[in-house]
Amino acid sequence: MSKADAMLYAVSLTIVACGGAYVGVPFFKLFCRQFGLGGNPEYARGHNTGKIEQMARVEDRILTVYFTADKHASMKWNFRPQQQSIKVVPGETALAFYTAENPTEEQVIGISTYTIMPYTAAPYFNKIQCFCFEEQILNPHEKVDMPVFFYIDPDFDEDPELEFEDSIVLSYTFFQAKEGMSLSLPGFLSGGKKEAAKPQPAA
Amino acid sequence: MATPAARFTPTPPDKGSFPIDHEGKCKVPMRRYMDCLRRKEYDNNLCRELSKEYLQCRMDNNLMQQEPWQKLGFKDLLTTETGDSR
Repeated sequence: MSKADAMLYAVSLTIVACGGAYVGVPFFKLFCRQFGLGGNPEYARGHNTGKIEQMARVEDRILTVYFTADKHASMKWNFRPQQQSIKVVPGETALAFYTAENPTEEQVIGISTYTIMPYTAAPYFNKIQCFCFEEQILNPHEKVDMPVFFYIDPDFDEDPELEFEDSIVLSYTFFQAKEGMSLSLPGFLSGGKKEAAKPQPAA
Repeated sequence: MATPAARFTPTPPDKGSFPIDHEGKCKVPMRRYMDCLRRKEYDNNLCRELSKEYLQCRMDNNLMQQEPWQKLGFKDLLTTETGDSR
């Protein structure tokens, strides 16, 4: 191989390598979002439940979680958060409450879903237990407390996209459930619901 | 370079859904916890003992599956207790 050829090969290799570096960043972002950080699939989509025991509080990163409540127009319940916000740090489990009241004369079944804002914070928001996705029945004139037990993953503090985000909004929306209705949540109803370990309440 | 925008996908809670406390058995611990939050400017860190009490009430009344406190993020509160936990 002549020196000119070798030079050409070296230069083109360099260009390919640089191009690869540019492409690599969004590629790995996509890859990690799909398959989990560090290739650990437990961190993707669902959450690693063993993490709670080992996680440490990130003392100096105080976050404010705001709570909002919404309901579909036809939903007859009154539904509101009991606190406007709570101050938490990543790695610390926290409890918050909503209240739901059925002011009507008949039993009403509700089912709720939620969103997290900003979306970039959502993968770090872990609900240990709450009242969402399963049908909840309220008797006439019944008023109940609905807890949300959650934590924010300590890795939140490591995410450069979230460096300046100190507020998270948790928004629940209640819908009235009718016979045979199901919430179409992409990819959800196949998992999770069946695994919910709900103790049978004493009759 | 176009990357797909992050889409929010709701995920199920780790331990499922809390059964509704129809009989209000844990209303008192709930109120105490909320009062604490109000007094402490809604700082979760200062009211964790009371949130633990609320969850204990749920477990005692079959409204929550029994779990060791370490698995619920309360291992630091265990070391300050003497004797058996309630």
